[in-house]
Amino acid sequence: MAAVDFSTLPQQLVTGLLIGAIYALVALGYTMVYGVLKLINFAHGEVFMLGAYATLFISWSLGYTPANSLTNGSWGALALMLVGSMAVCGIIGALIERLAYRPMRSQARISSLITAIGVSLLLQYGGQIFLLEGKPQNVDPKVSPVYSQDPIKGNFSVHLRPADPKLIEAANALKGQMESTKAAFDAASKGKDAFNLPDDVKKLRSSAQDAERAYNDASGKADNSAIDVNLPKGQVIMLGTTLVLMAALTYLVLYTKQGRAMRAVSQDFDAAALMGINVNSIITFTFVLGSALAGAGAMMAATFQSGTKIDTFFGVLPGLKAFVAAVFGGIGNIPGAVLGGLLMGIAENLVIWAGFPGYKDAIAFVVLIAVLMFRPGGLLGSNKVEKV
Amino acid sequence: MKFWGVRAVSIVAAFLLCFVLEKASRGLDSFTQQLIVFMGLYVTLAVSLNLINGITGQFSIGHAAFYQVGAYTSAYLGITLFPKFHGNLFVWLLLMSIAGGVTAAIAGFVVGLPSLRLKGDYLAIVTLGFGEIVRIVIQNQKALGESGGMDVKPHTTEQPVMFVALLAVLCIAVCRNLLKTAHGLPFLAVREDEVASSAMGVNVTATKVIAFTLGSAFAGAAGAVYANSLGAINPDLFRSDLSILVLSMVVLGGTGSITGSALAAIALFYIPEKMRDITDVRLSLILGGLLAVGLGVSAIRYVTNHVHKAPLVRAGLYLASIVGGVIIAEIFAAGLGKVPALAGNVAGAKLRLVVSAVVLIVLMLVRPQGVFAHHEFSWSWVARLFGRKAPTTEVAA
Repeated sequence: MAAVDFSTLPQQLVTGLLIGAIYALVALGYTMVYGVLKLINFAHGEVFMLGAYATLFISWSLGYTPANSLTNGSWGALALMLVGSMAVCGIIGALIERLAYRPMRSQARISSLITAIGVSLLLQYGGQIFLLEGKPQNVDPKVSPVYSQDPIKGNFSVHLRPADPKLIEAANALKGQMESTKAAFDAASKGKDAFNLPDDVKKLRSSAQDAERAYNDASGKADNSAIDVNLPKGQVIMLGTTLVLMAALTYLVLYTKQGRAMRAVSQDFDAAALMGINVNSIITFTFVLGSALAGAGAMMAATFQSGTKIDTFFGVLPGLKAFVAAVFGGIGNIPGAVLGGLLMGIAENLVIWAGFPGYKDAIAFVVLIAVLMFRPGGLLGSNKVEKV
Repeated sequence: MKFWGVRAVSIVAAFLLCFVLEKASRGLDSFTQQLIVFMGLYVTLAVSLNLINGITGQFSIGHAAFYQVGAYTSAYLGITLFPKFHGNLFVWLLLMSIAGGVTAAIAGFVVGLPSLRLKGDYLAIVTLGFGEIVRIVIQNQKALGESGGMDVKPHTTEQPVMFVALLAVLCIAVCRNLLKTAHGLPFLAVREDEVASSAMGVNVTATKVIAFTLGSAFAGAAGAVYANSLGAINPDLFRSDLSILVLSMVVLGGTGSITGSALAAIALFYIPEKMRDITDVRLSLILGGLLAVGLGVSAIRYVTNHVHKAPLVRAGLYLASIVGGVIIAEIFAAGLGKVPALAGNVAGAKLRLVVSAVVLIVLMLVRPQGVFAHHEFSWSWVARLFGRKAPTTEVAA
């Protein structure tokens, strides 16, 4: 178990926030569908997965193939991938709603839930047959114009605190000692059999090793005393896009006719229908909207988190975590989903920071159980008492 | 007197079945024997999940966690204690499954507690989360082999067919007796209406926790046998897919029907296992098949909802919709086969969970109560089958 190191905390918090933005986008889909239908859309994670595949195929058709990739990124390609992924996901969401969920609407809620699980399984395992035989692939990160392997070019760096000059001095002092002992050892061991040294030379070697260890310790301490935060440029763009999408969603829900109809349907199905709202088309619209947001999240997760491999189980964990985020913030509550998503990403990175990377995926469920036990309505939701 | 006679016939028939299975499997190769063992384990898992899901109505999709707890208990005890054990392997297996059952029951008790406050889809997601937590925690324990898993002592070449058959029979018997006696009524009452049953004096809390504890104890015992039969276990064997497969068995059989769960477990284990033997399925045929399922389902739903004719006519229409779907699918597949992108083949093994998924969806669309609904196997039904007019008794559940 690694020791808790406060100098890396700001970096981990920021990384968590960036990942949390994606969870927030996916959580919005869960929360909107739950708000309208009271259904946990288990297939939402799979919509996310299909969005990532859509992104991958679009990037390939634009020439960023693994075999022969273009080297220059382009903003146009990124925009096309985002819009394409959102469109594909929107259509898939509408299809799932129409073919699987709508016929179940009159049945008990548990039947819809089982159907949702079935759809999710079908997309995971059926996808393995048709989508590149399920072999993991990644989107070429070079498609992004700001991508660079070089940490200085590819990152925005913020220096929160420079390295402590005293520690640097101490390290430099040790450096001289290390070099002199090393030189002494090199001189003494010259021309001798490395595996069969006389005792005095062995002593020199161990003192050289000690000096080196002391220097490494001191320079490590000096490095750690500086607090830097590195933001990959791609992920900053991702956060920006997420904020824009969320603002658009807020506008849509609060200030348009469709949004008002959506809110009405989520309050009361029948009353909304009596007021002349076409409930079916509003539900389809909700699915399209939620799935398109998942598609945007998938595009960004696949493109900007370099090294992410896409397979048909790509959406399982993000889906579950986003669901937990939605519950955390208060399911059915749009700002709650965003808050929950961001907190979820941060919580996950705190677990890594605290030295338990193996438990990264478990924290979501621990949070879920804790929330449901102690505040079932979520952070921003209301605790409704069930009436009989 | 008649009651005891029927009961004796049941018990003798159950033991006879175990004995016949044991004798019949002796001549087979060890792979087939292992398949029989797995089949028995799936029956145990499905029937025990049915106790939680179907009979008590607590929708749980974390059954693999209890199975895993049992398996790891057995594996860990095997490494630490087996060298000191001098006795029959059957006795060892019995001890292990009791130990696995007890640890899993404790885990089940812990999961049962949140179920007091949650219901429906929230409970489902909590049990799913619990399953993941158990898997991740075990995956991070040095003593339990981390993600590499553990070697299970003792190494036996002999598969415990008899033991598994007895375990499955025991599980079925416990569930059946629970249902048919006054002790089982609270479980059904909780499923039907929690508020009403608590008003009638049912201890809802105790009932739910007992259901979880008992169901997970059987899963744990099955897990212990699984570990010994397999010889080596790792956390990947207990992913949530397994929970969902067992859930599909319960749903297919009919939530609440023990007979249904047991038969569905056999079917959903046997069919995908057979599919491993099919090495190439045409891609176009898969698409055609999906289309056929879709068309058949919509036709059947149409007949169910809109055609009000004599039962025979309706049965004919159902048959026609299935046949029609298959014919259209064949034509569609033949057409698609000409598309170069869809000319390839897929191994049947890859389709195994696809079948599970399609079963779940189709069942929910066509017959949400499951194949057997709440019906059970009974001797009077057998008697009627042979033309004897037996007195019809009320079916519990």
